[in-house]
Amino acid sequence: MGAKILVIDDELQIRKLLKVTLQAHGFTVIEAGTGADGLVSVAMERPDLAVLDLGLPDLDGAEVLRQIREWSQLPVIVLTVRDKESETVTILDSGADDYMTKPFAMGELVARIRVALRHAAHALTEPVLQIGDVQMDLARRVVEKQGQLVRLTPIEYDLLKTLVLHAGRVLTHHQLVKEVWGEQNSEATAHYLRVYIGHLRKKLEDDPTRPTLILTEPGIGYRFKDFQ
Amino acid sequence: MEVRRKKSERLNQGVWPYLLVTVAIGLLTLALLKVGLSFQLANIALLFLLPVLFSATRWGVGPSIYAAAVGVVAFDYFFVPPIFSFSVSDLRYLISFAVFLVVAILTATLAFRLRQQVYESQQREADTASLYQLSKRMTALDDLDDMATAIVSHVADTFHAPVWIVLPKGDAYGCVKKDFMEPLHDVGVERCALAESDLCVDACLYVLQNGKSAGLGTENFSREAARYFLLKTEEVVRGVLVIGATSDLHEGIGVRQHLVEAFVGLATVSVARIQLEREARIARLSAESERLRTALLDSISHELRTPLAGIIGSVTGMIEHAEVLSPEDQRDLLFTIRDSAMRMNRLVTNLLGMVRLESGMLTLRRRLCDVADMLGVVLRQLQDPLLRRKVQIQMPAELPPFYVDDVLIEQVLVNILSNAVKYSFDGSQIDIQVREQDGVAVIIVEDEGIGIPEGEEEKIFDKFYRAESAKRIPGTGLGLAICKGIVEAHGGQIFARRKVPTGIRMVIQLPIAESQEESGDGRKNLSD
Repeated sequence: MGAKILVIDDELQIRKLLKVTLQAHGFTVIEAGTGADGLVSVAMERPDLAVLDLGLPDLDGAEVLRQIREWSQLPVIVLTVRDKESETVTILDSGADDYMTKPFAMGELVARIRVALRHAAHALTEPVLQIGDVQMDLARRVVEKQGQLVRLTPIEYDLLKTLVLHAGRVLTHHQLVKEVWGEQNSEATAHYLRVYIGHLRKKLEDDPTRPTLILTEPGIGYRFKDFQ
Repeated sequence: MEVRRKKSERLNQGVWPYLLVTVAIGLLTLALLKVGLSFQLANIALLFLLPVLFSATRWGVGPSIYAAAVGVVAFDYFFVPPIFSFSVSDLRYLISFAVFLVVAILTATLAFRLRQQVYESQQREADTASLYQLSKRMTALDDLDDMATAIVSHVADTFHAPVWIVLPKGDAYGCVKKDFMEPLHDVGVERCALAESDLCVDACLYVLQNGKSAGLGTENFSREAARYFLLKTEEVVRGVLVIGATSDLHEGIGVRQHLVEAFVGLATVSVARIQLEREARIARLSAESERLRTALLDSISHELRTPLAGIIGSVTGMIEHAEVLSPEDQRDLLFTIRDSAMRMNRLVTNLLGMVRLESGMLTLRRRLCDVADMLGVVLRQLQDPLLRRKVQIQMPAELPPFYVDDVLIEQVLVNILSNAVKYSFDGSQIDIQVREQDGVAVIIVEDEGIGIPEGEEEKIFDKFYRAESAKRIPGTGLGLAICKGIVEAHGGQIFARRKVPTGIRMVIQLPIAESQEESGDGRKNLSD
């Protein structure tokens, strides 16, 4: 029996599409057409993950998420639209696990659901990680590319580790700055984040102008390639 | 000059003429007593006519009658025998007195009329000059606010009175006021809504609604300290001109009625000219937007229907004839559906982008951005279409961060690169150059595609414009218009150049300043 996924969306067509496709991928799907119904389903049906549309007619998506987070760590993937980057960042910072911009390709949503479920299960425990030709030894704090030692400064290492531990998941600028520097977000720190991401790409990517490991999510943050 | 005139006016009024006449006659009497006793009495009498004539021409009737009386008294007392007494031994001198009076009154009246004529003609000349000056200024102005300022300033200076002009502004009325203060120091012009002005709003509205002047000196609102003149052309009310009361007001509006009327006429014509120009401009604009709307409808209906036709056709084909379609055919149809849907998605994105730009809802979220990162995102987004093009990137290793809205600039790059792919052939090359010069980022995208016809380098950025040569390739003509809107919102510019032998060269120039200072802070805390 696959994981149980709650779809909260007011559009019948979208719910139907998600139900058919997710069931085909082995998930069990329950549906809710409003935010209020969704909250009830979260409590009654105990799903493993929720896909939450931000444009609900009855409740603000952020409000639904806030009420879920009051008592549950249920992974939540939000469905948003273009041109709402700042709203998306806010909802990610307040506890959503990932987002999809409508319209989206189904394969990508399924991949994000899998990543979110895996992170919820804390499956990542191995001390040595193999990411393509990059090897990261978390116990020894050593990173190698094609067998060659990659010299990383402590900040670069911490940044890479944060990204890798959340591989496949989006991390906002704010979340990364908080994890690595433990500081309040500011324009200056956000810029430093970009500088260090650039350093990491130069040291790890085959072609830093076309990164494949550390991907930029425009207006939102970064996502490390899902390597598992 | 003004001050001197005032002073001489004061000398001409009150007791001064009488004192001067008395003194003059005293001096004349003294002089005649010394030297003139040998004169005939008739000659002396003639000499006493001089002050009468003089005061008549100079000061008018009152002083001249006074001069006649004093002159007769002095003549009688000092020169007519018996000397030093008033006994009139010879009644003939009463005739002299009567002649004196007649001369005094006649001369004074004539002189007064003459002076009046001179004064009036001077005044008329000044008024004409003033009107001419104002009308000359009016023709040079084409902004209603500037014009209102010019009118109130000029009229206030002419009448030495506070002046207001009330003109429609949006749905309500706006008021421009110029106060007049003595002595001659300039006060600025105040602007406010009619309701907040110090005018009587009811009087203004009365004038506007009834099409009649009101205020001081009229039947309505006659207690107001100002006169409200209607500005009206051919049944269209243009506004209200208000001239306030000063000590000069009664003279001002009374005697110079024609000047006031001329100002009112001139103000009306000037305001009407600007308002009509504005209406004509709006009419032109709406004709333009009408043309755009037609273009939009044509373009959108075509661009929306084509992919929809693809989707509906493919889907119905698959539903109705599933059994005759081979798996390959079905896959082909599915790809058609996907491509059509993506095309519609692009169209909708561009349309929404255009709406946001045009409605002013576009807000820039500028941040310090890494241009290499932005380019990476764009290339990734376009990786499928770019597979069949050779892409070359030239970019210095160390570029300063760009202070831009990365999401929007990425959209610009996506649009331009999509065009480069769309209008070029498989296997051709696309060059991307990024560099920085004096705080300006220059991004150049070159392709080897069909290019643009000569002379259309500017037009391709117009909304819904499609070059003739590009018409067989589907598109809305929105992509570059959006690029231009976004780049200009950043204070930059975008232009296209023809490339020899073929292709197009798109150049984006973006100011990326404001980056240095901001990145300076926090460097210490954050570096390791």
